[in-house]
Amino acid sequence: MTSGRQADPALVKQIEECLREPVYFRDILDATRDQKYRAVLLAWSDIRTRHALERDEHGRYWRAERA
Amino acid sequence: MAARRMDQDRRNEDFRGMLARMEREGHLRRVTKTISPRHITALCGQAPSAVLCEAVEDYDIPVVGGLYWTRDRLASALDWPVGELGSRFATAVARPLSPVLVNDAPCQEVVATGDDVDLTALPIPFMHEKDGAPYISGGVAFADDPELGPNAGCYRLMFRTRREMAIDLFTASDLRRYYTRTYERKQPLPVAIAIGVHAFEHMAAAYKAPAGLNEMEIAGGLRGEPAHLVRAKTVDVMVPANAEIVLEGELLPNGWTADEGPFGEFAGMQGDLKHNPLFRVGAITHRRNPIFYALQMPWENDWLNGPATEAACRRVLGLAGIQVAGVRATEGGCCGWSVVAAIKKRAGEGRNALAALLSLPVVKQAIVTDDDIDIYNSDEVEWAVTFRCQADKDIIILSGMKGKHVDPSVRPWDLKPGELPTTAKFGIDATIPEGIPAFRYERIVPAFRSEVRLEDYL
Repeated sequence: MTSGRQADPALVKQIEECLREPVYFRDILDATRDQKYRAVLLAWSDIRTRHALERDEHGRYWRAERA
Repeated sequence: MAARRMDQDRRNEDFRGMLARMEREGHLRRVTKTISPRHITALCGQAPSAVLCEAVEDYDIPVVGGLYWTRDRLASALDWPVGELGSRFATAVARPLSPVLVNDAPCQEVVATGDDVDLTALPIPFMHEKDGAPYISGGVAFADDPELGPNAGCYRLMFRTRREMAIDLFTASDLRRYYTRTYERKQPLPVAIAIGVHAFEHMAAAYKAPAGLNEMEIAGGLRGEPAHLVRAKTVDVMVPANAEIVLEGELLPNGWTADEGPFGEFAGMQGDLKHNPLFRVGAITHRRNPIFYALQMPWENDWLNGPATEAACRRVLGLAGIQVAGVRATEGGCCGWSVVAAIKKRAGEGRNALAALLSLPVVKQAIVTDDDIDIYNSDEVEWAVTFRCQADKDIIILSGMKGKHVDPSVRPWDLKPGELPTTAKFGIDATIPEGIPAFRYERIVPAFRSEVRLEDYL
């Protein structure tokens, strides 16, 4: 079990772009198919640590723009 | 002598010992081709056996899933005869054994704390199309309370960050009760999540044990010997000594505020978005070369509860003075909501049996047959319903019984906050009606059947 890896800033930015509109987590995995699964989880961890994500009744995520 | 050695070999069999035995019995296959955690659930759903994915993309931890997907696989995992799951469970529950505390445990061969704690190092799979995130579906939660005692239960956890997961404590449960007590004091609740425990411990944890009875005592009853526990490294909680992986941490006193779900629920339907507490992980301990267990919904979850349902049916039928020949919790009813019982009937006991079965909170529909019907053969059961039942006399409908939110037919969205749903239940008396002589149901028997062997001709 290996720890100590860091989130890829470019991947974090790519996922943040996805979150401009409501998306399922599956959509995020689809949009990042060229990335390793663990890299996506690391980026997701980074995003969830820094942002309070919105959810709709279907479970879709999006990132509310700050006023 | 050989039998005794085998018994000794199986003493306190651990998770990987169970996997090895299931593999020998043809209920588990190894997959050597590299697979992504994105695809493990889809693979498990198509596989004719449980699968052990040895090469998981970007991880050095294999993933196993589908262990209890069918009655046959669960029977293999428990090493019990397939037709005796309910009766053996009932016997075990009646004979609980206190667990044994050990000092050195395989589950603590490797310990990660501080900055070394990283949940992304575990191959937590993304399971269903509409899930909110990857899920730990096969974890068993252990907690303790100075007044209520130790507790074990099965709860799902949704990945959020390297150190945090949201845990589903939405419905009434022992852990919710424990958590509520610490939450009201604005204190965290120490909890450990064990992943990859033997079927005995997992099934005991899934069982709603009577108040005051530790689920690990039930596990001892199931094993026929005490379960081995060890004190977790960083929280004051006991966990199975042979678990593959243990997450140690706290349920934070944030209340029901963290978004959690949706998740593919035990009833086979995609659940709702909920709000639940957070689990913050402070340490990860594991065996050397651990195996991650991904419980596959809904059937593994349902089958872990199936024997307990069948045992409960036997218990209430026994209390009603009815001789039970067999009880089957059916797959279509998620191994609990629909049951079939075969009885040695006396006058009126078909309906008595239905009344007893439908009194169980989980059972929504029941069929009672005579003991000449093979209740594991759905065609036989349908035959009995067709020819031994008159719909205007032999079907019982009970209204206003306790229901469950997960059943869309009770329209839970129309309920006020805190209001509990009610449901209608029905039972079919498919026993030979009183007044009809048994010879009217004499079955066709091929002539000279005992003289003909198929292998002599085909």
